[in-house]
Amino acid sequence: MYDLVRGPLLWVSFIVFVLGTVFQIIKFMKLSKKIDVPKFIPASRSKPIATSPGFMLKFEMFKAAGIGTNLLMAVVTTVFHVCLFAIPIFLVGHSVLFDQSWGINMMPFLFSENTTDTLTIIFLACSLYFLLRRLLSARVRAITTSYDYVVLLIAAAPFLTGFFAYHQIFNYNTIIILHILFGELMLVTIPFTKLVHMVFFFINRFFVASENCLGEGNRTW
Amino acid sequence: MAEQNNTPVATEKIKKMLERKKDKTKLSLRMCAHCTLCAESCFLFMTRGKDPKYMPSYKFINSIGKLYKKKGEVDRATLEEIGDIVWNDCVLCTRCYCPLGIDIPDMIALARSICRTQGVYRQYDK
Ligand code: HEM
Ligand code: SF4
Ligand code: SF4
Repeated sequence: MYDLVRGPLLWVSFIVFVLGTVFQIIKFMKLSKKIDVPKFIPASRSKPIATSPGFMLKFEMFKAAGIGTNLLMAVVTTVFHVCLFAIPIFLVGHSVLFDQSWGINMMPFLFSENTTDTLTIIFLACSLYFLLRRLLSARVRAITTSYDYVVLLIAAAPFLTGFFAYHQIFNYNTIIILHILFGELMLVTIPFTKLVHMVFFFINRFFVASENCLGEGNRTW
Repeated sequence: MAEQNNTPVATEKIKKMLERKKDKTKLSLRMCAHCTLCAESCFLFMTRGKDPKYMPSYKFINSIGKLYKKKGEVDRATLEEIGDIVWNDCVLCTRCYCPLGIDIPDMIALARSICRTQGVYRQYDK
């Protein structure tokens, strides 16, 4: 069982994840089109008309948009997403596997075991906050379906089982298989559920021209 | 007074219109994290007691989302409900902001176009 989930299933999930992501990117490129960003600026006008605002104005907008409206959500979601990326990549246990499988030695960059353990608890606390928000806040409930709980579970389960495995809570051999399976489940569901926001956050938030893109967006829907 | 519209819904026509923008609709509905962060960007939400029914996401999920999920097979009552959302709860000012870059106004505009073909309009005398 262990060999199956670590071998073929892992490859299947990697491939589904990569191909699915590429597929979504191609779809986005087909749905949006390239536009000309004005390059020529008449001397009489010091600023181009249709480009994004300067950094300071952007910063002010950022404050007004995210931090100003709900500080707690802004902090929790930032911490949640940073942990989501950082924990699995800089974890000592995973790096041993990277090293064994591909000879990638990440030693100088790794977090200590205590650090990842603490970060995992923080991550799980953030997930709990999302869950409570979904259950208790009227505005979030207004657009919540059971699907949202399933996706949240898919996101939190690899971390929860990883935590159990590290602390040898419950039967280690069962938990570690569950942990791998949940990790693989998350990989394959990223391109096909609302987790695609991982891909689209980077490509459409930043590329589609608007006052909120980074730099000058050069595509439009 | 606006009179009751009893003409049957031309589901075939709705299907065709949905088909034309299927990819973008599907993408937008799938991408939405149901996070409600777009709420404050809509002035109607802000000025009408922060009622969740004015959240941009609520409006596009319950209009075009509904049409898409039911593949256009909606009855007149549902269409009237959708019409109420897209004509009365959104002015298509295009100021809403989704951190994930969903083009919410375009989705609402599509729902409006579909309603329009079925005789569901903004009623200014109500
Ligand atoms: C920086 C841009 C992003 C924003 C604004 C954003 C926004 C959000 C929000 C608000 C939630 C919470 C939804 C809830 O209330 O349950 C969420 C959940 C989640 N995000 Fe992101 N996200 C971003 C990028 C990413 C990236 C890059 C990844 C992939 C590594 C990711 C993966 C997840 C996962 C796994 C969840 C939990 C499942 C869920 O509840 O949907 N997000 N995201
Ligand atoms: S439309 Fe965007 S901001 Fe609004 S709930 Fe969906 S993902 Fe969140
Ligand atoms: S386009 Fe509609 S949903 Fe978006 S901000 Fe304007 S009124 Fe609100």
